[in-house]
Amino acid sequence: MEARDFRNLEKLTYRPGSGLNIILGDNAQGKTNILESIYLLSVGTSFRTGSDKNLLRYDKETYALRGLYSCNDRNLEAELTYHLKSGKMFKINSKKTTFGNPLRLRVVIFSPDDLFLIKGSPHKRRQFLDFILTQIKSEYNYNLVNYSKILKKRNLLLKREQYNTRSFAIIEEVFIENAARIILARINLINNLDEYAASIYQEITNRKGNLKIRYALSFPLESGKINHDALKEALKKQIGEKKEQEIKRRSSLVGPHRDDLNVYQDGRIARYFASQGQQRNIVVALKLAELHTLKKISGFNPVFLLDEVLSELDREKRHLLLDYLQEAGFQSFLTSVNLDEIDHKSAAVVTVKNGHLQ
Amino acid sequence: MRLARPLENLIDNLLKLPTIGPKTAQRLALYILKMPAAEARQLAQAIIDAREKVFPCSRCGYLTDIDPCFICRDETRDTSILCVAEEASDIIAMERTGYRGRYYVLNKNFNLMDDNNLEDLNLDSFINQLASGEVKEVVLALNPDIEGEVISRYLAGLADGHGVKATRLAHGLPVGGDIEFADEITLRRALEGRKEI
Repeated sequence: MEARDFRNLEKLTYRPGSGLNIILGDNAQGKTNILESIYLLSVGTSFRTGSDKNLLRYDKETYALRGLYSCNDRNLEAELTYHLKSGKMFKINSKKTTFGNPLRLRVVIFSPDDLFLIKGSPHKRRQFLDFILTQIKSEYNYNLVNYSKILKKRNLLLKREQYNTRSFAIIEEVFIENAARIILARINLINNLDEYAASIYQEITNRKGNLKIRYALSFPLESGKINHDALKEALKKQIGEKKEQEIKRRSSLVGPHRDDLNVYQDGRIARYFASQGQQRNIVVALKLAELHTLKKISGFNPVFLLDEVLSELDREKRHLLLDYLQEAGFQSFLTSVNLDEIDHKSAAVVTVKNGHLQ
Repeated sequence: MRLARPLENLIDNLLKLPTIGPKTAQRLALYILKMPAAEARQLAQAIIDAREKVFPCSRCGYLTDIDPCFICRDETRDTSILCVAEEASDIIAMERTGYRGRYYVLNKNFNLMDDNNLEDLNLDSFINQLASGEVKEVVLALNPDIEGEVISRYLAGLADGHGVKATRLAHGLPVGGDIEFADEITLRRALEGRKEI
């Protein structure tokens, strides 16, 4: 891959190995910038900032990223250029395209922030699901954006007490339609994640722990069948029942924006009962499950980006994760300040200093 | 650097136009200064004329200088079919297809993020036309986005109330496009709307 005028990377050429890659360097040398540039070539936005301007090297007006990758034995080239005035342009194999292109690179990112996945707000857990789904199907993102627009409008109409209008009825119809689509996609995803997470968690805990993940709906679903129509029916019913409350509280109380992801450890809900260490194990299991699920559903081998997470794990877990990465058959990139205690027999190691590879 | 006041004024006014940035505004202003005086006056007059004489047709909303507009007056058109579009520019596009029915232009953007409602759309003439019994089919030619979907549902409901059939344009692949590079959403819509050949 190449990066030009991207953050502190003036002109970087990086040829990573196909397995585990370790990027070493002191703080503020550009380790995470390399991960970020890989992430950008896949997702189109940064995991650190919402503004592309922040990604420019000091005083520069344009940055360019280029990455060669292969998916299913096909060689592909992704290019992302940004110009202060004209914005972003994304190409795959020299053809202008969008980040919804099915041939785009897929990534899984694991950063210290993810350690709050279990104890953090439901919003974080929904984001976890939404990010995976967006990578599997760009249509999911489209539905999600539409849903949030419709939700905002519905809330506004509730606030204005305009809930007896035809406008409101139509908005509600479209709201329910989109809500059902999002929920169905999330449930399908969780069924896949659950399977992988459970077996990985067993491995991590030497067959002592039991992990289950379930989607927690914000409304009751009476029929055992989970499909689009059943969800629409249930949403409609619950919205009808909650109408008075919604009017009183002036906001939408039912829908995927109120749902959650429940993680059970040995049958008990992890966010209340799991210890710090256990939570970390769970997050590692979830991230590895994300990797496998993405591969299974999208058919592409995702690239795994680990940003300074090793220092957050105990020695044993660190070894386990590293062994896993060196054997799992995924390409991964890991940043770290030092190599101490990193077992890197089959890893490709580079050091970054001041935006340059040494 | 200070510019002559009238020149500065011209640049400022050109800057208010869409897609015109400071550099373009300056280039256009300097060009106008170099034009023969008669041509410059013509340009100014053309702006004034268009602004004063063109207005939306009271029947269909298309931009016109006579009311009703030439499309609504055209007796060779099929009056049983009414095509609803968001902007006058959409009608220009539709006309190129050889469509020979009538139109209804909403002329007002309905945006979910803005503070407007479906009830604010100016639909009096639309409803009158539905009620007249002449229209047998409403073709909804709205943009394929969430706003378009919301408006389409609303208008389809109104049409249904008058016993008028409502259809909407197919979503699909651009002609001459590359299936491999089509985004998933478009491709799926195209699959859903497939036709027997």
